[in-house]
Amino acid sequence: MSQKGQTLLEKKRDPFHFLKVILAFVMALIFLFPIVWMIFVSLKPEEAAAAEPLSWFLPPYTLENFIEIITGSDVFLWTWNSFIVGIMTTIVTLILTSLAAFAISKMHFTYRRFIFIFFLAGLMVPGEAMIIPLFEIVGDMNMLDTYSGLILPMVATPLGVVILKSFFDGVPNELIESAKVDGCSDWRLYWNIVLPLAKPAMAAIGILTFIASWNNFLWPYLAIVSESLYTLPVGIPAFNSAYSDTYVEPMTVNALASIPVIIAFLLFEKQIIKGVSFSGIKG
Amino acid sequence: MEKSFWKTQMRPVPFLLPFFIAYMLFTIYPIFKGMQMSFFEWTLIEKKEFIGFEQYARLLTDPNFWEAFRNTTMFVIFSTPGMVILALILALLANLNTKMKTLFRGAYFLPSILSVSVISYVAIFMAQPYNGVVNNIIQMFGINVEPFWLNTPSLAWVTIIAVTLWWTVGFNMILFLTALQDIPEDLYEAAEVDGATRMNMFWSITFPQLLPIARVILLLQVLASFKVFGQILLITEGGPGTATRPMIQYIYEMGFERADLGYAAAMSYILFIVLLLLSIVQLRSGGRGGRII
Repeated sequence: MSQKGQTLLEKKRDPFHFLKVILAFVMALIFLFPIVWMIFVSLKPEEAAAAEPLSWFLPPYTLENFIEIITGSDVFLWTWNSFIVGIMTTIVTLILTSLAAFAISKMHFTYRRFIFIFFLAGLMVPGEAMIIPLFEIVGDMNMLDTYSGLILPMVATPLGVVILKSFFDGVPNELIESAKVDGCSDWRLYWNIVLPLAKPAMAAIGILTFIASWNNFLWPYLAIVSESLYTLPVGIPAFNSAYSDTYVEPMTVNALASIPVIIAFLLFEKQIIKGVSFSGIKG
Repeated sequence: MEKSFWKTQMRPVPFLLPFFIAYMLFTIYPIFKGMQMSFFEWTLIEKKEFIGFEQYARLLTDPNFWEAFRNTTMFVIFSTPGMVILALILALLANLNTKMKTLFRGAYFLPSILSVSVISYVAIFMAQPYNGVVNNIIQMFGINVEPFWLNTPSLAWVTIIAVTLWWTVGFNMILFLTALQDIPEDLYEAAEVDGATRMNMFWSITFPQLLPIARVILLLQVLASFKVFGQILLITEGGPGTATRPMIQYIYEMGFERADLGYAAAMSYILFIVLLLLSIVQLRSGGRGGRII
């Protein structure tokens, strides 16, 4: 709301409004340029590589590269692996963190504050500095090179607990008390009353978790050996490093990997933006 | 009474336990395991022998470790200002009152959702000499140069920082944008009544109102930049030579290419302590956690 008033003011009094819009537009072009370039290159016939920057964007176009990459590489397998790992990580994260956040927010027990601070402290443990011991631990559990080994270590981050806890705190206690008087069990309270109210927060955390998993590079890079388990971020470099003189195949793989994400972004932009702003306020 | 006390204490257990187990196993246990490993000679295959602080003594005199440490620090110092200031500028642009504001916001944020592998290979091919699109565009403006972006140490850094800015600045932009839209409108109205100019309003209202979020962004950014790895590994492989190799890449090479997990664990611990100190600074200054407790 505040924004409306502020910008009305802006329009009325800002002599540079038009220039600023032009600047914003130019910046948008710069930010989109590499992505648009990548997609156009993937549509170019092999021999069309040219020294004129403009010619990348001009016809002829072809879909042959896509056919070649789809039949000649495992890009769909990598996409599938990324998808499975992303979905499972998201589901398990949402279940685990919401259960814990519910207990911390809505139950009365003496070690509640201690447990919360103990979880909160985990925000200070950088995963990247822990990959060496994590590799040993997951190895000892015989989970290297498995789906579980990719998924489980990623669900132990406390950010979801922290965000959901503050969200659950906003659910009125009278609601909880009156449900309890009616003989509602803890599980039904969690499932039927608190969770439905927390849908926006759950969606935001779910989307953030999925994107983080989809783009996760370091851990899968270490934990996967078999090519059949490659996720997209690991499969793409393995494939692309074979090419250096032609642009077309690498950009086609890149485009294939990115188009689903770009479509998902256009569909869920609102929720994604919300998820990001959540993580900044709390994380 | 006794019974109901225990009942209250036990009730949350089934709710807490699943997360607690995962958290202990994959977040807390590695802290201790990592410390143990750093005191041993430890290969990819087995734990060998206890050697006390030898790994730490070794890293103190390892020029490669210090180079990687310096590289990481330089990356943080040179990328952070852009990461905060450009984010603020983009947020102000995306907050302009036009029909295209959603387009602007989307365009600035879109690179952030792409995989590090995708953006790295786009960067590699765009930055190639002779037929790379970046050089072509520079020459289109009549500047007749042929920079070898990835083969010159300083230009390799410029490339890495520019790519990182393009790829991740959208995240910070969203945080600024949310904060901008939360500034109460009456502040501007009151200023207008007082006859303030637009410049006045920016410096006396917008800027101070954004300071708290700017501090959070700055600290989060420093923490995140210290962990830089993927784009550098993929774009320059730490090169030319080792001129852009960051800490995590050196840790990775020692641990997994030289099979020296004990040494890699000791270096990880130094990184851990640096990051921990930075997070404590952040907590102290009232960012993240401070606000929640």
